[in-house]
Amino acid sequence: MDLSQPIEENYANPKTCFFHVFFKASALAFYILSALFADSFVIIFVITVVLSALDFWVVKNVSGRILVGLRWWNEINDQGESTWKFECLDQESLALINPKDSWLFWWTLYLNAACWTILGIFSLVRFQADYVLVVGVCLSLGIANIIGFTKCRKDAKKKIQAFATQTIASRVSSTIQSAFSIV
Amino acid sequence: MSNSHSDTIPLHASSQSDIDEIENLIHASVQSGPATVHPARPPSPPRASIPVSSSPFIQSNIPPPSSLSSSSSNQKVPSVPAAPPPPPPVGNSSSIVATGFGPPPNTLTEPVWDTVKRDLSRIVSNLKLVVFPNPYREDPGKALRDWDLWGPFFFIVFLGLTLSWSASVKKSEVFAVAFALLAAGAVILTLNVLLLGGHIIFFQSLSLLGYCLFPLDIGALICMLKDNVIVKVIVVCVTLAWSSWAAYPFMSSAVNPRRKALALYPVFLMYVSVGFLIIAID
Repeated sequence: MDLSQPIEENYANPKTCFFHVFFKASALAFYILSALFADSFVIIFVITVVLSALDFWVVKNVSGRILVGLRWWNEINDQGESTWKFECLDQESLALINPKDSWLFWWTLYLNAACWTILGIFSLVRFQADYVLVVGVCLSLGIANIIGFTKCRKDAKKKIQAFATQTIASRVSSTIQSAFSIV
Repeated sequence: MSNSHSDTIPLHASSQSDIDEIENLIHASVQSGPATVHPARPPSPPRASIPVSSSPFIQSNIPPPSSLSSSSSNQKVPSVPAAPPPPPPVGNSSSIVATGFGPPPNTLTEPVWDTVKRDLSRIVSNLKLVVFPNPYREDPGKALRDWDLWGPFFFIVFLGLTLSWSASVKKSEVFAVAFALLAAGAVILTLNVLLLGGHIIFFQSLSLLGYCLFPLDIGALICMLKDNVIVKVIVVCVTLAWSSWAAYPFMSSAVNPRRKALALYPVFLMYVSVGFLIIAID
């Protein structure tokens, strides 16, 4: 009876994972199913775009933080220039992130963008400009999140490497120091 | 051994300074990257240090923020000690909101409700800054520092919905046209300012033009409720003037004074066309 092992491999934050997937899936589902029922375009547009925007907010502010420990935003400094700021959890907490969580996070982001691209191609082929608009908005929101988090992850890796180098260098220097003080 | 001690002192000093130099270089290279990632480190010193709620939201394997706060407590921020009980989130979010200068340190572990409240209050404060008369407003070019696109998104959708509601036929086309016109118009107006050699940040300008739609939103709502043409014309004129007045300081401060009219005229034109849409819909 190895009950302890499956618990470790489960999702660490099931609620967050659920919401992360829920808004994306409901936006896609609503768009696809309502196109079949041929409802009023306004309702389709508003609900799909609102769900997509909610999903963007949830991913950027909640699931990014909790599932992968990353966060990105844009700030305008005193000189009036815009800078992109990235934030990540420190070393120990990053190591404790559930790999299943982060796998789900990244793959749903990519899948979402891919689905919207395919739907966009369908709309283009059918020459439905208004549906292309909906798809365009949802796709741009998805891509914005992908780019933001990818940049954030790259910076996190750079920072960890620099931190590791710094730790090694300081250790080396303290060893040298102690060596010289002994002599 | 005093002999060996005196022997090693000069050597020790030079090697010590070398080691110090190397350490300083490493520190400088770590901290001087253009987009370095801080492990929940606080932002630049001039900003006020803000006490952050350290109550964990996550019931998971990730350890509670006490480990994070202990690693960040030896940084510049004197607050967020690991030992004392965390202050209540409500008090913290209000103190976080008060600065209005971007997210506070350690936002990685704040409760979700804090994030929601922070974003909502940012929308409200941006709205107040942009749209309402404020004699104590500082340099308008810098006032919308904390831009966000949620306010403009809500306003554009609301305007599209109102117009669509008021239309008796072709509701979908009205909505799509209104949305596309406003979104594309905002992008093109921003490009216009940038091409005129103005100094404005793309998203800041989008955000501004979106917030300045708020008076027209109100105008459209009133026109939807009251169907008299004269009332509509008056209401639209008033709200149009209000919108243009709100957009004027930001746009004009962004460009060369000789090109102010070139930058402002298209903005005015866009708002006039939206006004006509509002009047013409029946």
